[in-house]
Amino acid sequence: MVVRSKTSRVLRTVAGWAVVALFAFPLYYWLTVAFKDGNEIFNWPPKIFSFTPTVKNFEEVFGISLGFGFGEQREVLPGGGNWRMGPRLWDSIVIAVLSTALAVSIATLASYALSRMHFRGRHHFVSWVLSTRMMPPVAVAIPVFFIYKDLSLLDTYTGVILIHALMNLPLAVLLMKSFFDDIPREIDESAMVDGASRWLIFRRIVLPMVKGGIAATAVLCFIFSWTEFLFVLTLTQTGLKTVPVVSSTFVTSTGTAWGNMAALGAAAMIPAFLFILLVQKHLVRGLTLGSVKQ
Amino acid sequence: MKLGVLSADRPLVWMLPLIFMLVAFTIVPLFYNIWLSFHEYAPFKRQLVYVGMQNWQQLFADPRMWESFGTTMFYFVVVLSAEVVLGMAIALLLDEEEFGFGLLRTILTLTLVVPPAIVGMMYLLIEDPEFGVLTWVLSSLGIMDKSTPILATASTALWGVMLADIWQWTPFMVLIFLAGLRSLPPEPYEAAMLDGASAWMTFRRITLPLMSKVIAVAVLIRGIDIFRMFDYVFVMTSGGPGTSTYTLSLYSWQQTFSFIKWGYGATLSLFALVVILVIANLFIWAARVRW
Repeated sequence: MVVRSKTSRVLRTVAGWAVVALFAFPLYYWLTVAFKDGNEIFNWPPKIFSFTPTVKNFEEVFGISLGFGFGEQREVLPGGGNWRMGPRLWDSIVIAVLSTALAVSIATLASYALSRMHFRGRHHFVSWVLSTRMMPPVAVAIPVFFIYKDLSLLDTYTGVILIHALMNLPLAVLLMKSFFDDIPREIDESAMVDGASRWLIFRRIVLPMVKGGIAATAVLCFIFSWTEFLFVLTLTQTGLKTVPVVSSTFVTSTGTAWGNMAALGAAAMIPAFLFILLVQKHLVRGLTLGSVKQ
Repeated sequence: MKLGVLSADRPLVWMLPLIFMLVAFTIVPLFYNIWLSFHEYAPFKRQLVYVGMQNWQQLFADPRMWESFGTTMFYFVVVLSAEVVLGMAIALLLDEEEFGFGLLRTILTLTLVVPPAIVGMMYLLIEDPEFGVLTWVLSSLGIMDKSTPILATASTALWGVMLADIWQWTPFMVLIFLAGLRSLPPEPYEAAMLDGASAWMTFRRITLPLMSKVIAVAVLIRGIDIFRMFDYVFVMTSGGPGTSTYTLSLYSWQQTFSFIKWGYGATLSLFALVVILVIANLFIWAARVRW
């Protein structure tokens, strides 16, 4: 290992902390806005460290009383809309969970075959899956909007779940394939010699060995569905909306309710933060669609 | 073991659900989109009418298309370079075990899971001309005055949007490059040290070549997403002020859904699709990226 002087180590430590602080600052500031009263948000110079925290924004957005701060509930807020976001959080959860389940199941089956079986055009098939990842969402959303309109799938859970599953399939297939590729083929082959069927080998031997990989894939699919914007914006109207899309309703003609928006945003980030911490080990592999291993 | 159409020994059986999804949601929409690009919605007839090549001719003659194409490419080049360079610099900085660096690497992952639309809102607030933190910092330093709103001035609006993108995705590069740096073999570095090579030479001649595959993958994946970027401009500027921040994705979305130009919007989105497929596949071929 390279030996470094004390000064350069101190400098590196300070620089590292400073850089990461710069990246963490916007998140910190957003969090303070979620806990600020209106007047303090609009202060000049902006109040960064000293402010009086309140949970009013959370109470308003979720229609609950947290027992301190402002107890009084306002049903309709300036701008006239209903700002209760509980149902929208539920929409986000339903869509993210079900689309993840669908994408991971389809991808696990397909990537097992792509990893284990030889057939003509296998390489082309992988390229096809990868090129699906390149399609601009808008080039999918426009035709799918009209197709959904004819099939009455606009504004339905089914419609959004299907399109989110599709969006995550390239990631899920390529990532799961890389996890299957990690398992030595000899394991399958020796079980095959013993007379086990493909399906039995998959169910009983290989699948339990990629459990960690399935979890990592599922977490990433969940996060990408949770944060997706364009498809939900295009394919839903009033029936359902996920958190990223509904955030814009806080922008009204009489001004933006930054506190409420920040409260919703902060609440929506928590599950994603917790999930990403669970998959640190496989994160880079996931972000690179299985091609860079940690 | 039963040998039949649905035998588990046939790869097709395993891939059938995937093939069904890909056909239903990429091939069918693709052909529908191509069909749509030869039609246009006629408001008086309230239906789509066949217009032949009209949309495609309009596409290449449309100055706003070329402007948004230019904006997309400029955004693509600036943001991608900034993220690669900053990502590499920060990865090299954090690639040691100094005090708390494990925690710092964890904190960096957090920007990746914030919905980009909400990041757009965050930067809308930070860059607000009345009470934004960035406005305050810039005006305190005398770089920019409060009277020039970042996102409402044509010359600065795109930079304001780029800032959000660079903030959110530089950590993506950092994490990938860190993983790459950690898998490098120690021997070349020992040899370089014995030869008395400078830090810059070691980086240029050893680290960069050894990292080329990792860098190529990161550039490809990030490049695709930057090219088709939509969320930030949609929430931060909606293409404005004027037409200064229209990207191809936003322009085609708006033609379809705001101006009811269904056929022209489809044509624009197909154009964006062709451009990204060409760029990405050329890159895959040139950089020999393999999956």
